[in-house]
Order: sequence, then C-alpha cells, then structure tokens
Amino acid sequence: MINHFVKGAIALALTAGLATAEEYPSETITLIVPYSPGGNGDITSRFIADQASDIMGVNFVVENRAGGGAFIGINSCANADPDGYTVCFISTSPITVRPHVIEAPYDPMTDLTYIGQFMLSKQPVIVRNDGKFDSIDDVIAYAKENPGQLRWSAAVPRGGPHLATEAMFRAEGAQTTFLPSKGGAVELANLLSGTIDLAVISDYGPALDNGEIKILAETSPGRNPQAPDAPTLSELDYPLELASFFALAAPAGLPDDVIATWDDTMKQITDSEEFATLMERIKAEGAFLNSADFTARVRADFEAMGEATAKFGLAN
Amino acid sequence: MESILAGVSLALTWQSILAVLAGIVAGQLLGAIPGLTATMTVALLIPYTYYLDPWVGIPMLIGMFKGSLFGSSVTAILVKTPGTPAAAATVLDGYPMAQQGKGEKACKMALYSSVFGDSFSDIVLIFGASFLAAIALKFGPAEYTLLVAFSLLTMGFVSGAKIWKGLFAMLLGMLLGIVGLDPVTASPRMTLGFLELEEGIGLIPMLIGFLAVAEVMRQMELPRKQLAASTVSFSDNPADRRVSWLEFKGVFPTLMKSSSLGTAVGALPGISATVAAFLAYNEAKRSSKNPEKFGKGELKGIAAPESANNAVSGANLIPLMAFGIPGDIAAALILSALLIQGITPGPIVFRDNPEPIYAIFTALLLANFFNLILGHGLIKMARRVVTVPKRILFPVVLVIAAASAYAMRGSVFDVQLVFLFGLLGWGLTKLAFPTVPLLIGFILMPILESNLRVSMLIAGSVPSPLAYFFGRPAFVALISVMAILLILVIRRIQRDRQAAKAAGLGSG
Repeated sequence: MINHFVKGAIALALTAGLATAEEYPSETITLIVPYSPGGNGDITSRFIADQASDIMGVNFVVENRAGGGAFIGINSCANADPDGYTVCFISTSPITVRPHVIEAPYDPMTDLTYIGQFMLSKQPVIVRNDGKFDSIDDVIAYAKENPGQLRWSAAVPRGGPHLATEAMFRAEGAQTTFLPSKGGAVELANLLSGTIDLAVISDYGPALDNGEIKILAETSPGRNPQAPDAPTLSELDYPLELASFFALAAPAGLPDDVIATWDDTMKQITDSEEFATLMERIKAEGAFLNSADFTARVRADFEAMGEATAKFGLAN
Repeated sequence: MESILAGVSLALTWQSILAVLAGIVAGQLLGAIPGLTATMTVALLIPYTYYLDPWVGIPMLIGMFKGSLFGSSVTAILVKTPGTPAAAATVLDGYPMAQQGKGEKACKMALYSSVFGDSFSDIVLIFGASFLAAIALKFGPAEYTLLVAFSLLTMGFVSGAKIWKGLFAMLLGMLLGIVGLDPVTASPRMTLGFLELEEGIGLIPMLIGFLAVAEVMRQMELPRKQLAASTVSFSDNPADRRVSWLEFKGVFPTLMKSSSLGTAVGALPGISATVAAFLAYNEAKRSSKNPEKFGKGELKGIAAPESANNAVSGANLIPLMAFGIPGDIAAALILSALLIQGITPGPIVFRDNPEPIYAIFTALLLANFFNLILGHGLIKMARRVVTVPKRILFPVVLVIAAASAYAMRGSVFDVQLVFLFGLLGWGLTKLAFPTVPLLIGFILMPILESNLRVSMLIAGSVPSPLAYFFGRPAFVALISVMAILLILVIRRIQRDRQAAKAAGLGSG
C-alpha cells in the first residue's frame, strides 16, 4: 500500500518536472467566453474547446464571464499571463467596433494577441417583400425625399452592421430614424408588422424562405450566399464594411511557438467534417484565418471603423 | 387527417415518449435549483443534441422547459427561493401558505395551475396559431408602452399597504430597473462606473437576494429555540394537503383569466414568463373581492402566476409556427432543431409539410400529462428535504443563493449583489414596505422605457403622430379597455371610502 503511494509520488514528481521542460501545451487551458451560455458564440467555443482538447491532448475549461457587452471577459483575458493557458473567444463588436464609441477597459490594438478566426456571419440589409423597396437606391431615394421618415433598426445597437449602414446613410446625406431594439427576433417582428421599414439582422431565419422578406445588400465583405444578387456595401462604394467574425484571442505577447501550435490546431479543427456539420447546423460560414492574417484583418477593420467614426460622427 | 396521424405517430415512438419523460424529470429537478434556469441547462446541452435524432431532441427540450417551470415553484413555495425568475410571483402567496402548514396544498395548486396553463395555451396554439400571431403583430412599441404603463398604474392602487408606501417601493424598483446602458444611446447610465452593471442589474441576483436572503436574515432575528424547528411544518390535516374540488372551482375563473393573459403575453415576442406571472398576479389581486388576503396565503395568488407563466411557454411557439419568429430562447432552440431537419416554420409548412408541427403538438400535450404525474413525486421529495431544522436549512439556502448567482455568468459581483439586495429586502420589510410593487417596477421598467422611447422616436418620424397612433386598431382597442378599467378601479376606491366612512360613522 505504502509502496503504491511512494511510486505515485515519484511518478507525479517526475511528470511535474517534465511538464516545465515540455513543450506547449502541457496543462489545462482555460477558454473564457465573454457571453452567457447558450448563444452561438458559446456553442462554437465549446465545440472548439472539445476538439482542441482532442488534438492538443490537454484538458480545456470553458468559463463564461459575461457582462459589460463582452468587455469584462475579454479584459480578464487581456490581463492574464501570455503563456497560452488562458485564451478567449472574441467577436467583432467588442474588438473593432465598440471601443471606438464607448470607453473599453483594454486597447484592442495593443493588449491582445489574435490567435485565429474560425467563422464569419452574414449581416444583410433586409426589407419587407412588399414592393416598396427593390434596391438600396430605392431606400436612399425614399429617405432623401422624406427626411427622418425611414425607420430602421439593427440587432445590436452600435454594433458593426448598424454603424456600417449608418455610415451609408450619412455618406448619402440621408436623414433616417434609427429605432434601437433588443435582438434580431423582435426586429424581424417589427419589420413584418411595419413598425420599421428596414432591418440589419443576421437571424432572419425562415422569413426569407417564406418569401416575406428580401435582402437588398450585405454589410460585411463578400456577398450573401442566400442572396447572390444583392451587392455588398463596398461594391456600392459606401465607406464602411466590417467582417462579422468569431475568433480566438489571448493576452498580448503570446510566444511564437504557442501561436504556431494554435495555427495548426485551428486549421485541423476547421478542416474537420464535424466542424462543417456544426456550421451547417447553425447556418454559418466556416472561415479559417491564421494568426497573422487575422491580425491584419482586425487592424484594417479597426482603422476603417476609426476613420468612419471620425468622419461621420458615428460616436454620437 | 393523414398528416395529423403521421405527425402524431412521429411523436409517439417509445424513444420520443422516453425523451419527454427524461426532459420532465430533468426539468423539474433542475428548475428547483435556483440559478440553474432551464434555458441555461438546455443551452449547455445543445451541443450534444446535435447528435440526437430530432424526435428525441425536440420532445426532450419541450419536457425540460415545462418541467422546470413547475419545479422552480416548489422551492419558491417551500423555501422562498424561486428556482427560476418566472416563479418569483409564486413566492408571494406560496410561502405564506407553507408557513401555515399548507405547503403541500400550495405545491399541488401550483402543479395543477401549471398543467392547466400549459394545456390551455397548447390548445390555443393548436387551433389558433396563425390567427393569434396576426393579432400579435399588430402590437408595436406604442401598444407595449400602453400595456406596461397601465399595469404599473393599477399596481399603485392595489398594493394593499398605504398607497404612498406602495408607490415608493414601485418607484424604487423602477429606478433600479433603469441601471445599465441607455436603451437609445447605448451609453452607460447609473452604473457607478461598474462594467458589471452595464447590462443592468441581473434579475436572478436581485430576486434571490430580495426574496431568499432577506427571508433568512429575518429568520435569524428569531430566538434560538425557534431555529431548531424546521422552517415549514406540514399539517397532517387532509384538507391542508390537497386542493379540494370546491377550491379548484373557486380558482377556476382565475385560472382561465391568467392562462389567457399568459397566452396573450407569450404570443408577443420578447416578453418573458416572469412578466406574465407578475401581470397575472396583479390582475388577480385587482379583480379580487378580497385583495387584502393576497400575500397572506391566498390560493388564487398561486393559481394566477403559475398558470400564466406556463401558458407563456406554449404560446411562445405561436409566432414561431406562424412566422418563424422565436418568442423566447426556448422557442429559438426549437427553431434551430427544426431548421436542422430542413423544416422551415411559417405559413407554408402548415400547407406543405405539417407532420412535424403535429408531432410537436403531440409532444406538448404528452409533456403536460407527464408533468402532472411526476409533479406529485417532486412534491413528496421536496417535503422531506425542507423539514430539516432551520439552523441547517438556512446556511444551505445562503450557500445556494451565492452559488446560483455566481453560476449565471461566473461573476463574484453578482454574489455581492445578492447580499446587497438581501439587506435591502430585509430593511424594507422591517419598515413595512410592500415588496411586490418593487419587483414589478424593476421587471417592467426596462420594457416600459425602451418601448416608450422608441414610440417617441416613431412619433418624430411620421408627419402626424396622433393620426399614426390612433390609426392603429390595437392602440385604440387598448386605450378603450384601459379607460373602462380605470373608471372601474376609481369607482371601487370611492365606494370603499364611502363604506369606510359609513362604518366609521356607525361605530362613532
């Protein structure tokens, strides 16, 4: 009996000694999700953790640290040790958008290492399919003829899709009324009931198949596969277009070998069949970008957003 | 007819029936644990349901939600700790009943009301989904504003205590309700610089602190001898252990009214079961001949919120089935499960491919039946757990209160809030302020504010606001009904005053 304990203790001491010398990763990795359980961000993060755990051979703990529009969770990640054992899930709004319009506790350009992107979602401009508007030109013409009478909304007030569309209206000098709301489902109901004339939401679900709504344009780069004829905002020469990404980040100063391990892991995960099934099921588009490419995208979007904010006064 | 049978048979395989059963059991148990809302547990389980057959996954989801709405009321009644926010209104009369030794009766009333509300809204869903959904779409921000403002208005009159105390509590609740990001400008407001407060004061920490922790603090003041007893004793008198047919008949009108109210609220996307429960409670008290009995162990005070909150769960599927708009997270989960199967809810599916819809209807009704049967088991179990002495139960309640607040979003801040609200709740009870108006003010204020401000934005965007609002049939209908109700309330107050005067004269 005692013999077993001694053996166990020796084994433990040995592995502990090995662990420090061993390559990354050798300990449990914490994945912080800055949102409450249940959303797509949480579901995909748990999936990534599950798969990465198989590939890397270490345990993952997923921690939901919600609040402050994701600022709290991301901030606790930014303040952790950059050893690769604390990573976090990030999405567009708290990284490239909201820090320009509201004071964030971290600087997205200096306080985080961007590990990689795994998903993009489409954020289309939609209207009722009642013949009132058939194109963005129709919308702009109506808004100019009837100042302040075009009512519209977006799922997240002051999120990327809202501000990209607002920048479009301001570039045209069109006066509109933005009605803030809580969530895409309520906005869809408001659109169908005529409370608003235009919505920028991603979860329009079955309404498109049922022929009740129509997509006029896409506020993120690349056309919407469900409406291949609708142009993107940049194709229409409007100033702002923001990628709506799901990605992972870590504290600033993450070592290169850790980044390389993650690049490799994320590639494997996003190439897998299980990942494709998950994307299909949540109606999203899997889109892998490694650390270097994703960092470049974040920087470009952050700057574009900063310029647009200053030029069109989007912060007010 | 053929498609109905095909749909029914989809949901009547032994796998589906077992899944409903498992969902109900899990839902009732998890619902009874404060902080673990059904939505949250289902959310954690979702990744696994991707690998399940849809006719196992969907019935299980349905069972879970229905089970949890009842399960949460058991702890609300017996230990004053609502398992989910939707059961908070059940505390108001359930807990006093439990203290009178009628805990079992209260739990059974909650069970029958839950199943009644569920069945009511399911039947409405089955026969009137598209019709009701079309009406629900007529409700815009202006109508929501009217509805909520009217609820708050009547609240002030019927809080039972002195009117100024009721109004003060309500205003305090409303004040707490506006903490967070401004709904229009999205800038922080009254957050005292705390990032944690940007999304507002959490409903769960607030409710648990205000109800459960405050109660524990109140009980701690009692002499030591009393703490050796258990918090609720169960009377052995059979009349206190069951709901008699006569009693059920007595609450039947309340059940009908509250279920209709819950169904109507559920058909409106974005209004939760918690709101429905408080509205129904408020209405039951307003229309009661003896409003002073509420809060002291009135059966109707359990029947109203319990039937209303369960009615919401079925009715939330109304906008989903009719337009594909999920009314709440539960409906959103069912929607994603349907989409995975390539089924697109909406008018077309009723025409082209209705089998899955009938399968869901079957699962809903099946879940109600199992909820009724298994609910009795849960009551028996809970009865044993809560008969431990207070000095053991209360520390446990405090630990659970803290843990449940933490579980929601992993925040120590929320744990601090729980105890802060415990202190506030204790203080207000000491000063004899009513708690209901505060809770209703807190829950309704964010809905009132955002809808009022959006309505004002709309008013600014149309050439003639009066013509716009009075051109809306729902708006006109609501205003008329409210005017009549208001006249009735005022006349009753006058009558009561005259009666009081007459009595005063008679005795003097």
